[in-house]
Amino acid sequence: MTLHISEVHLRAIEAHAEAHYPEEGAGLILGDEVGERREARELLPLPNRREAVERGHRYEIDPLDTLAAEDQADALGLKVIAVFHSHPDHPAAPSQTDVHFAVPWYSYLITSVRSGRAHETRAWRLDESEAGMQEERLEVKPAAERRAGDPDTLIASGAQQEEG
Amino acid sequence: MSQVRVPTPLRGYVAGQSEVEVASASVAEALQELVERYPALQPHLFGEAGELRPYINLFVNDQDVRSLHGQQTPLTNGDRLMILPSIAGGARPGGLRGVDHNALRANQGSIIALLLTAFVLDAPGLATGVGAVMLLGALTGKIGFLPIYWALRRLRLAGPDILQDNPEPHQFSQGLGAVVLLGGAAAFVAGAPGLGWGLAWLVIALASLNLFGGFCAGCAVYYWFNRLGLPGFSQSPPPGIFPGRRPQPPVV
Repeated sequence: MTLHISEVHLRAIEAHAEAHYPEEGAGLILGDEVGERREARELLPLPNRREAVERGHRYEIDPLDTLAAEDQADALGLKVIAVFHSHPDHPAAPSQTDVHFAVPWYSYLITSVRSGRAHETRAWRLDESEAGMQEERLEVKPAAERRAGDPDTLIASGAQQEEG
Repeated sequence: MSQVRVPTPLRGYVAGQSEVEVASASVAEALQELVERYPALQPHLFGEAGELRPYINLFVNDQDVRSLHGQQTPLTNGDRLMILPSIAGGARPGGLRGVDHNALRANQGSIIALLLTAFVLDAPGLATGVGAVMLLGALTGKIGFLPIYWALRRLRLAGPDILQDNPEPHQFSQGLGAVVLLGGAAAFVAGAPGLGWGLAWLVIALASLNLFGGFCAGCAVYYWFNRLGLPGFSQSPPPGIFPGRRPQPPVV
């Protein structure tokens, strides 16, 4: 499986991670899937509903936010294909906690943030044994290569959702 | 008829549908109807023991079934049963572990029985001994009266009740109880038996609240210290559980 994402979306995920540092930021990615290819189309940054003292190393998305994202995806003819979250001052690799809570099928993007700056973003997916996560290929489409009409700046609608 | 909302990761098992119509009258029946019609869904909704998979949340309309009647929540015409994935994680390793709550119950029952016996027999030494066993347990990271639980297990009078929980608050709670009882011991030595028995009764009351009411006061104190950011109190309550309440068993 390869997850294709525009540079604009990836930068937006990393900016979101930096803005939430030293806490973990999280959200969902809407997109489509054809065979072994997933393409990110829209970002939905969502509130991390863990209590303040835990948000430095834990995240949780409200199931009702997930439902709203599913509804939005259906309305746009897309699917919720991935979850993104940040690891403040930790590697962009899944922790035991990430593996424990991972839902099969979703892609999980993890952004490592070091001293407030996004360091790297990697994609993972729960393996069939459900005992670990395998790295997925993350294909970044440079901004200059975007064609006219490519969906891109929809993070704004997600940001409103987060405030709500 | 009710609608079951299927999340994206499970749609591949229900012919790509986002909603499936069911005729069932309860959440449990609706899930059963769903897996009978789509058998490939079974291992993704339920574990080997028939328990709901940990990443599955169930909502009826916008209410979590855990705040209603669990899987026995009735479904009426036009209700929507939402199957929603639990999306969580985080950088810190660890997470909830299996804690045998029947071992904790056996410990609480032993503490209550021995302290009541001590009071009836007017035996402060026995109350102090209970405190010493609890302190030893707290210091070694074990349940003080664990041998009694194992004896009950061997006699097949008890079986495990494993819940996803943090063990640390229970250890802290046991240590707190020990400190109260040893404070009582000091009161006996100082010639204040009224205070000594008062403290023993406080431990009996809190252990009873835990055993019969499912609320661990010492755990609540631990989680309050965690919220205040006190060093050494690194665990926070299991998601969705009021601090100190016993976590809910998996919805079967």
